[in-house]
Amino acid sequence: MTTVEPTVPGSYDGFATSLPTPTSRWSRLARRQGWTAGVAALLAVLLVWRVSQLPKFGAFEIRTITAGTMTLALLAMAQGVIVISGGIDLSVGSMMVFGNCLSALWMPDRGLAGCLLVAVAVIAITAALATLIGAIITASGVPDIIVTLAASFVLAGMALWVLDAPRSGVSADFQRLVAGRLDNPWPSVLWIGGVLLVLWLPLRRSRLGLAIYALGSDRKAAFLSGVQIAWTRVLAYTAGGVFSGCAGVALTASTGGGGPLASTGTTATLNSVAAVVLGGVALTGGIGGLVGPVLAALCLTLIPAIMLGLGWDPSNAETARGVIIILVVAVAGLLQLRRTRPS
Amino acid sequence: MSDVTPIAAATTEESTQVVAEIVRETVRPGWRTRLAEQPALVLAGVLVVLYAVTVWKDDSLLTVNGVRSILLLACPLAVFAASQTLCMLTGGVDLSVAMTANFAAYVAANQSGRGPWIALAMALGVGVGVGAVNGLAVGVFKVNPLIMTIGMASVLLGVVTVGLRGWLAGSTDVLDVVRTVGSGTLIGPLPTNLLVWTGISLVLVLGLRSSGLGRVIYAVGDNQIACRLAGVRVWQVLLAVYVLSGLLAAIGGLLFSGTTGSVGVDQTNSYLLPSVAATVIGGTSILGGTGGYTGTILGALILTVLNRLLLRLEVSEAFRQILYGLIVLALAWSYVRLTGQKVREGGG
Repeated sequence: MTTVEPTVPGSYDGFATSLPTPTSRWSRLARRQGWTAGVAALLAVLLVWRVSQLPKFGAFEIRTITAGTMTLALLAMAQGVIVISGGIDLSVGSMMVFGNCLSALWMPDRGLAGCLLVAVAVIAITAALATLIGAIITASGVPDIIVTLAASFVLAGMALWVLDAPRSGVSADFQRLVAGRLDNPWPSVLWIGGVLLVLWLPLRRSRLGLAIYALGSDRKAAFLSGVQIAWTRVLAYTAGGVFSGCAGVALTASTGGGGPLASTGTTATLNSVAAVVLGGVALTGGIGGLVGPVLAALCLTLIPAIMLGLGWDPSNAETARGVIIILVVAVAGLLQLRRTRPS
Repeated sequence: MSDVTPIAAATTEESTQVVAEIVRETVRPGWRTRLAEQPALVLAGVLVVLYAVTVWKDDSLLTVNGVRSILLLACPLAVFAASQTLCMLTGGVDLSVAMTANFAAYVAANQSGRGPWIALAMALGVGVGVGAVNGLAVGVFKVNPLIMTIGMASVLLGVVTVGLRGWLAGSTDVLDVVRTVGSGTLIGPLPTNLLVWTGISLVLVLGLRSSGLGRVIYAVGDNQIACRLAGVRVWQVLLAVYVLSGLLAAIGGLLFSGTTGSVGVDQTNSYLLPSVAATVIGGTSILGGTGGYTGTILGALILTVLNRLLLRLEVSEAFRQILYGLIVLALAWSYVRLTGQKVREGGG
């Protein structure tokens, strides 16, 4: 069983080692996409449940779900790339809040074009900061959890520095373009899908994408096969920074402003880890993609809504989220244990 | 000593010289080696320097009350960091300490009508219960400790928030015992909570050094597979570690609620990340197997004094957070440089 996912056809040319007997196309598909399909099924069940609770299910209701998930979905992508590369980033939430504050500082009193320029600038800045974090992790040899933990303090402080109080007044055109009108779910859906298609898909298929998967699945093997470990690691964080920046801009668009609340960042980080785990990305790295985490983010948004619909205290959703995360990791661990043990 | 083999063919005299050189080098280690062997000394030095700098900005630290306030504030942090130290020695981490602490403090205050002993027992029971669930999941079901405890924190937040409108509703009088221990003064600059802290420190420092469980905790953190092959019941060790961690978190929560005289759903959450930071600064590796509680005590004191210094610096809250993060990073970095417990890149 190969652990490196052969996403690029022909990349194994020249291998002289004996390959394991080929598995059938279906079993490969099931192994690779099984988890995502499972999450999609869970999402479908939750969606049907939610629809059955509402007297009317139209564009407004869909928009509430999709625009409400956009930020978490993008943040889950950020965490996802980094976890796939075998790391973890406890600062994605603070990075998002920083991006949110920076765009809320620059965007007010600007037209649509100005806002879009600001959005690009903000994403570039978060990407640069994330690169720096990745570089510090690689250069210092301090475990990634610790570096990103310290970075989360720094970023929360920087958010407070650029914006010392909540601020609104972002151009309505920009809000409509990113989050959509109250009865128009398309912009939010297209942005999530767009980021997946335009940023993630090419990345995954590229040399760098393959290197990220290789690094995550076995660092030593990747090193011995000539993968530039340090660079790949730093660039995975850069990609995470791009996605976190997108999440920050999306947050600005969906709330019409920004606020430097550190607890927003902490909660968002925890949610992103939850979405990544539920989305089928193995914490050990190298396994999974970003579609799963996006679907999982939708599930995580639907759960409190459904509880509210049931007349339960929506705070129970916290409990439910915790239980789901734990169960998913426990079950995934047991499955992996069974898979690696010869029967 | 594979370094010696290439010159094995040389004359006896030459090889004797080489050996003598090696011996001289080992007998007189450089200052770096010496410092790396005594991390507590380095940390104590950092603490003294930091304290001196802080005194320069805030001379109240030289008074009895100043010293007392540092010790008083460092105590809950050090107790939470004790949880982290135990977990990190096994290669784990416990991110549910803050919520466990909040929950335990809430239960103690809510049940105070039943008498102090029952209320305290229930609060500590909460800690042990939460720790047992964490321990079973990590030890038996092999759930990643980071995820397990994040999930547990989420569950506890839900339980407490919902409970406030149900079975936890009603009076919240912080117990007199807790208030006295949490905010009283023993003698001079020594707050009463130092008694609890000293007790915990003695048990942890001595226990980790010389008890069977203590030694096995290091062994499990160093190499779990080797431990299992050597006949150690790894799951029992992990269970014990997380139960102790939950218990310590409950104690920390009670101490904090005694100091502030309040209970709240998220009152100790701001201690969570500093507790990890204090442990890391104290030289316990998050990868497991190295470190100890002595360093953590110094780490907690350093962070408390640092906080005091930043408060006195008359900079904005924003810069305080930035500096805090940078200093934590710098301390962790220099520690890794000094002791060489670096995470290796690739197959190097």
